[in-house]
Amino acid sequence: MKWVTWEDVGIDRIGSAWLICRCVDPAAEFLLVPQGVLLPAEAEPFDVPGARLSHHQGHSTFHTILDAYDVHDPILRRISRMVDEADTVQEVTVESAAPGLDLICRGIRRTSPDDQTALERGALVYEALYAQLATESA
Amino acid sequence: MRTWLLLQHRVPTEPSAGRVSVWRKMKRLGGVLLQDAVWVMPATPWTREQLQWLAAEIVELGGEARVWEAQVAIGEEETLVHQFQTQVDSAYAEILADLDRADADRATLARRYQQVRTIDHFHSALGERLRAALLTRNGADRT
Repeated sequence: MKWVTWEDVGIDRIGSAWLICRCVDPAAEFLLVPQGVLLPAEAEPFDVPGARLSHHQGHSTFHTILDAYDVHDPILRRISRMVDEADTVQEVTVESAAPGLDLICRGIRRTSPDDQTALERGALVYEALYAQLATESA
Repeated sequence: MRTWLLLQHRVPTEPSAGRVSVWRKMKRLGGVLLQDAVWVMPATPWTREQLQWLAAEIVELGGEARVWEAQVAIGEEETLVHQFQTQVDSAYAEILADLDRADADRATLARRYQQVRTIDHFHSALGERLRAALLTRNGADRT
């Protein structure tokens, strides 16, 4: 199915797109629109204020997607904590990799010709992060 | 001329947790309270994004929120800049003072420094000094 979010992707949108492909819709097709324009009705919006799959109760969109689709993978929960710490205001921080992941995601957008490419390159980073965390917790 | 973002909001009085949560989050973001329910921050892509989400959260709490983009048309703004600098500098100064204590825990102080740095919107010189002090104190490795 089609999914839509705002352009100029960062840690939460890159991570959420990767998560959607991994756990929700392996054939996902992503549309990226400028902030503020009317969203296409045929696509499910994410990380857009007010959407079902967006920030809720102080958590990131990544976190919301895990809850919405009942994903209980502990590694994904840990990555979700990183996205929360980087992208939302948290009282305490326990994931030292969070600010680094945030910077890398911003940098990926800067060095990518467009958002679509940034999503693809960012997916590699999340894939790598997942693999390493899985190795460490095994 | 600087551009500022103003968060103007109304949060239901009950439950009071909602109001408290907004206040704490704005403090964590390093905002300055201009009036009862009007916060100001320098406009950057980061502050814009943070305020956008906070506004959405306020609406979710049953309140109202608007984020304004503003420039000072009449009146001076240096006092405002100074307010931002002061809140960051006093936090840095506290850490520096703690670093001078004989039982200073540099690892903990370094974490406090990192937290303050995220809201150091005007790049305080004291922050640079503190960073250097944290890295060199007690004859430890110099970077």
